[in-house]
Amino acid sequence: MADPMHQFQIAKVVELPPVNVPGLGLVDLSITNSVAAMLAAAVLVILFFAAAGRGAVIPGRLQTVGEMLYGLVNSLTSSIIGHEGKKYLPFVFTLFSFVLFMNMLGMFLVFTATSQLAVTLTLGVMVILTVVGVGFAKNGFKFFKLFAPSGVPPVLYVLLVPIEILSFLIRPVTLGLRLFGNMLGGHVVLKIFAGFVVAMGSLGILGWAGSALALSSVVALTALEFMVAFLQAFVFAVLTCVYLNDVVNLDSH
Amino acid sequence: MATTENHGVTETTGAPEAHGSGGLPQLQFEHWAGQIVWLLLIFVVLYVVLSKMLLPKVGGAIEERADKIAGDIADARKLRDEAEVQSQAAAAELAEARGKALRTAADAKAKAQAEAAARQAKEDAALAEKLEAAEARIRASRDAAMGNVKTIASDTAQAITAKLTGKAATSAEVNAALAKLSA
Repeated sequence: MADPMHQFQIAKVVELPPVNVPGLGLVDLSITNSVAAMLAAAVLVILFFAAAGRGAVIPGRLQTVGEMLYGLVNSLTSSIIGHEGKKYLPFVFTLFSFVLFMNMLGMFLVFTATSQLAVTLTLGVMVILTVVGVGFAKNGFKFFKLFAPSGVPPVLYVLLVPIEILSFLIRPVTLGLRLFGNMLGGHVVLKIFAGFVVAMGSLGILGWAGSALALSSVVALTALEFMVAFLQAFVFAVLTCVYLNDVVNLDSH
Repeated sequence: MATTENHGVTETTGAPEAHGSGGLPQLQFEHWAGQIVWLLLIFVVLYVVLSKMLLPKVGGAIEERADKIAGDIADARKLRDEAEVQSQAAAAELAEARGKALRTAADAKAKAQAEAAARQAKEDAALAEKLEAAEARIRASRDAAMGNVKTIASDTAQAITAKLTGKAATSAEVNAALAKLSA
């Protein structure tokens, strides 16, 4: 049976000379399959919304889908963050559409960029850095009130503040790991069941029955994975909104 | 399949390339820096393109449509109100016209009735006059006939008296007798 982990192996597609990135040192910026998948997703996002943003009063199919996605994120930002949510719509939307397209591309191509821990963790860290940046920009040093919720007996702060700080620091990790785990797990399971189809097919009549069972599982799992691909992008956007809301509406805590 | 080939190669050469240390390929940290730098680059470009160029168009189209729908609904509502006012006016006009027509009809009927009554009365009067005249004529001829009867009776009485008694009675005696009888 094929190694179910092999699909996650990074391989160079186009060799490029290493570049000295300030702060990171010499970085190999060759285009790998992961980078190619990210590029493809980004290009598809741009092409899709360029086609969906024709601005026709009576929308076609593509425009309807594009506006549905826009409306989805718009309702997220405005319902979670409130009237200031419109300001953060582009950021949340970029995250959502990028993750969604990377996930969906993974269902069609051989490589899923969001199944790379480096990618998902970077996205998670990026979200939290944005949250910290917005928090400081909006609240100054009152940002630290985030770790000291009001309406608690002062004695409890000894216990509460470390917990709050820890839960805040763990957010990028959970954000990244959730997406990574879902994508990894889904694709591994798909690969294993698909492997069963071939492996059991060579075992005679009884094997064929098992093969058919495994094949139908693959079909069902594929449908499930499409849902997961959408859902995880959605969850990512929702959590980004929730974290942004924490610092945007810090006073109302 | 490339997978199996690669698999075979790694097993024979023992290179850590395909499997790392038998763990996740995602934990081969030598690939991280490149992915992270590329991801940040791509994300920034995508963010700029989406926020500056594409999202305003999509959002604009949605708003434009909402505005258009709201405007159209407002227009339709205005037209409906106008139509309602007009229909009310038309209904009022209709009611007025019907009233007028009813009045005219009633007037005409009354006039016709009055005329008919007048004509009838005139006719009746003429008829009554003719009737009166006819009755008068009948009365006259009856009186005349009654007068004749008296003469005939007196003549007859004279003749009968002459036959019975052999002597003619005077007309004065007969008349007295007749008057006594008819009294």
